[in-house]
This record gives sequence, structure tokens and C-alpha cells, in this order.
Amino acid sequence: MAESALPTPKPQKAPKKPTLSLRERLAANPVILKELRGRMRGNRGFITLTVYLGLMGLFTVLLYLAYTASTTNVYGPSNQIAGKVVFAGLVGVELFLVCFIAPAFTAGAISGERERQTYELLRTTLLPARSLVMGKLTSALSFIVLLLFAAVPLQSLAFLLGGVAPEEVMISLVVLLVTALASGSAGIFFSAIMRRTLGASVLTYAFALVSVLGLPLLMLTFIPAYDIFFYGYGSSPSPLLQAVLIYGFGVLVCLNPLATALFTEAILVNEHSALGMSYSLSNGATIPLVSPWIPYTFICLFFSLAMILITIQIVKRKETS
Amino acid sequence: MAPIIEIHHLRKTYGKLTAVEDLSLHVEPGAIFGFVGPNGAGKTTTMRILTTLMSPSGGEAWVAGHSVTKDPRGVRRAIGYMPDFFGVYDDMSVWEYLDFFGACYEIPEAKRASINKDLLELVDLAHRRDDRVEGLSRGMKQRLALARTLAHDPQVLILDEPASGLDPRARIEIRELLVELARMGKTIFFSTHILADVAEICTDVGIIEAGKLVAMGKLEEMQRRLMPHRRIHVTLIGKIDEAQALLAGVEGVTAVNVESQVEPPGRSEIVVEYNGDDTEVSAILAKLIGASIPVVHFSEDVRDMEAVFMQATKGIVS
Repeated sequence: MAESALPTPKPQKAPKKPTLSLRERLAANPVILKELRGRMRGNRGFITLTVYLGLMGLFTVLLYLAYTASTTNVYGPSNQIAGKVVFAGLVGVELFLVCFIAPAFTAGAISGERERQTYELLRTTLLPARSLVMGKLTSALSFIVLLLFAAVPLQSLAFLLGGVAPEEVMISLVVLLVTALASGSAGIFFSAIMRRTLGASVLTYAFALVSVLGLPLLMLTFIPAYDIFFYGYGSSPSPLLQAVLIYGFGVLVCLNPLATALFTEAILVNEHSALGMSYSLSNGATIPLVSPWIPYTFICLFFSLAMILITIQIVKRKETS
Repeated sequence: MAPIIEIHHLRKTYGKLTAVEDLSLHVEPGAIFGFVGPNGAGKTTTMRILTTLMSPSGGEAWVAGHSVTKDPRGVRRAIGYMPDFFGVYDDMSVWEYLDFFGACYEIPEAKRASINKDLLELVDLAHRRDDRVEGLSRGMKQRLALARTLAHDPQVLILDEPASGLDPRARIEIRELLVELARMGKTIFFSTHILADVAEICTDVGIIEAGKLVAMGKLEEMQRRLMPHRRIHVTLIGKIDEAQALLAGVEGVTAVNVESQVEPPGRSEIVVEYNGDDTEVSAILAKLIGASIPVVHFSEDVRDMEAVFMQATKGIVS
């Protein structure tokens, strides 16, 4: 048959998607551009940044003056300790800030669209749910990252004084960034499940308070119990129980940013290691302990991913009632 | 021609409440379809299903051949939706507002500038392009919202109460815009409470009550179907008794009444109650002329949309 003599057209390969530059990717998500434009419009962004850096600078000076005034060292204040105090103080304030500012930026992300009555307009466009969620989160985190990087010169004052290793700066930055991501993701999740921003903010701050302050309080109640187990009965507990208790405590530490920062710093100072240490049990055996910032980073990344995926599903879901 | 909007046995329930029940309708391409009904009749629910914002509990609907349940993205590409409220971003200019939604419809950045310019000219807002959206009057916001729905050149516009809360001038402007858009080939599906608008611009009408479609079709057809009873006014300058007798003998005439006071003096008016179509009405006039009865005026009462609506609905509120 004539038809069978015709050459079969070769199936054409799907054209390869062109690699987009960062600017093209930003432009491809209109929500990011809109949010960033709104956040940085006029003097608002400049004033926020100036006030933030002014307060951080003032805090740094006060911290340095407080240390030098309170030191009892016969040779005068130690520059190295002053450097550590300034650095630790700044990171502590930034960590606190990230835990409570990131949710503020994201808690109204989706619920705010509902309140402005723009949510349904967006849902009937071709904008995918993931672009809406990621656009909101990215723009909120971009501003937080801007605040964190703007404070790096203040942190680097510690280098002038000494006592702070480059690993400490890097680890602190990683912990700050993943904390911001986790806090922002929690905020956007609550924003998606609540109709009103007020409700979303209350839930987000309750979550932040429990994770930042509640967990350390829980740990403090555990410490006496640990003391009784380890030293209270005259004889040490079994090595297995010891290991379980140590790792259990470690898990609690890795769930809290402040505890993570403190224990990571302790391992860095005492063991001179950014990765971890060994712990000797009562029978002489040793167990490895990973520096808390590593599991903390993975926990934050996993938590953020889960929150983002759930939020995308919530936004995707059609109204059923 | 295949319908551009097709709804088959659509049903939507909220717990025990049935908002839409067994709703079936179709809209031809290029039509201006007025969706009329009392508050709580199910108009907005139907529109939310058509715009893919809501899933139906049963039945199916297609817009431009795309199923609202199976191909929501295809539906979104084909429709421009304007809800009965105006969503505002506080700190956006008119231009940025259009540009943002244009980007949400995946219009390339290079094309957006000229599209936005054309749209602002179409809705007569080019002079306000750099003003903040929140500073616009309600009528202007409504026109901007209409421009937004057109950003991606959709085939169908689904508009929920587009003239609600507008002053008379703004209402007329919106009405004229809708007619202009229909002339450009868009199909317009809009809900309204303003029956005058329906009578003025709609080519097709659907009346919904308590979740059920109680009437649908061309306005004239619906008038004929729902109100077959017609009233004809005949003004004469003589032979009143002869005319009365002639009209009383015509098939379909149910009553012939003579009006007593007619201006100017010397004229008489007969009111004929009649059931029949246009051909038969013209035959009545021909009979009068044929009998040499001096007719100076022959007209029929206009059956307006309000009368049709009242006839079709029973005042049931769900």
C-alpha cells in the first residue's frame, strides 16, 4: 500500500527548557517582584534597615562597654573575650530576631490576600499555587537575609578583637539562615490554614514561643532528673541507659535554636571541633556526639520542606464548603 | 455552533443545604448571557464552579471545551473573572496592578506594556495609569477590574454583579463596555439584580431560583413563553362599535374594552386582550384596515424584564 511506503516521521525530542538566569527566574514569579517592590518602595526599606543597624550597633557598643566595665582581670579586659562576647551577643539577638521577625513577615502572606479579597483573583489566574507560596516565602526571606548580611560587618568587629574563629561565623550564619527558613515556613503554613491574619499571627507566635522558649524550659526540668539518674543513687546507671539519656537530651537540644547555638559553641571551645565530640560512658566506652548545628540544620530543612509542601496543597485545594 | 459554556446537571450542596440543584444550561459563543435570580438563588455558587474556585458536588461544566473539574488550567486560560468585590493592593499603581495580573497570566514581559496601554485606553483609564488603585472611584475600579479580566485575551468573561453599587453614570459606562466587548467577540456571562441592564444588553437570559434554573432562552422567546397573554391598544377616530364587534369575533381575543377618556377629544381607544403570535397580531390590524375602520394608532404593551422575572419566579429563598 502506498501509505506503508511513506517514511515514518521520527518522534521529535521535546525542546530543552532554557536555563534561566536569577533575574529571569525572579521575573518569572510575579509574586516575588510585587512583594519586593512593595517592601522596598519609598523610604520604608531604607528606614527599616537603618533603624535595625543603628540598634544593632548601639547594642554592640553597650555590650563591649558592659564587658570592659565588669571585667575583674588584673591585666585589664581581654580582647579575645570581648570579641567572643560581642559576637555571641550579636548572634543571640539576630537569632531571637529571626525567630520572631520571620514569622511576622509570612504570617499574613496568604491570609492577607484573603483579607484584601485578592486571593480568589489570583486563584483564577494561571499562577500556580507553588509560585504563590514560594513567591511569598522568598520575598519575606530575602528581606531577612538582607538584614542578616547587613549585620555581618558588625559581627566582623569581633575579628578585630580576636577570639572568634571563621568556623563560628560560618556556623552562626547557617543556623540563622535555616532558622529563618523554618520560622518563615511555619508562618506561611499558619497563614494558609487561617482565614484572618490575626489568627495566623497568634498561632505563629505561639509556635515560635514554644519552640524558642518552651523547649529550653522543658530541658531545664529534665536536668535534675538526669542528675538523679547519673549521680543520685551512688552508682552510675547502665551504659545503655546513659547513652539513651544523652542522645535524648541531644535531640531536645537540636530542636531549639538557642540551645543548638550554645552547645555548638561549647563543643567548638572545649573540643575545638565544628563537627562533634566523643563522650565517655561509665564503663569506659565512648559514644560519638554530632555537633548540634548539623542535625539542627537538617531538621530545619526537613521541617521547612514539609511546611511548604503542605501549604502548597492547602492553597491548591478547591473550596468545598 | 458548539456552546462555549455548557453545564450538565450541576449540583452543589453545603451539608444539608442545596445551593445548586440539577442545573443545566448552555451559552453560545458571542452571547451576552444575563444570569438573574434573587439573593441566595445560587448564582455566585454557579459562577465559582465555572471559574474553578469551587468543586461541584455533582454534574459537570465545560468552558470553551475545558472541563472545570478535569482541566481547571484550561478553563482559567479561557476565562476572565470579575467577582462582586474589588481586590485592592494598597500600594500599587493602576499600571502595576495590570502588569502584575498580566504576569500572573504568563504574558511575556515584552508584550505586557503594549497590552496594558491598550486595555487602559479601552476602559478609559489611560490618564490614571500612575495613580494608586486605592484612590480610584468605585466606577473606575470596576473598569480597571474589567481591564484586568481582559489581560490574557480570554474568550469568556464571567462577571459577578459588575454594576453592583455603581452610580447611574458608572453603570451605563460598564454596560456600554460590555456591549463593546461582545462586539469584539467575547462571550459575557454575568449575574445581576438590575433587570433593566438585562433587558438592555442581554441576548440570552437564565433565571435561577432556589438553586434551580426556572427559565432560559432569548429574552423575546422567554417573554412569549412565560407571558403569552398580550395587550393591544387601538386608537380610532370613529366606527368604535363596528371595531369592537370585529375584534370580539377574532380567535384568541379574550376581552375587548373601550377606554372612556382619550386625549385629544374625538379619539377612542380599544384595549384588546389577546393570545397569539406576531403574525396574528398583524392580521388583526389588516382586518381593521380592511373593514375601513379609521385606525390612527396600533401598539402593544411592552412586557418588560421585571414582568418576565416575576412570572418566572415564585419568591422562594433557599
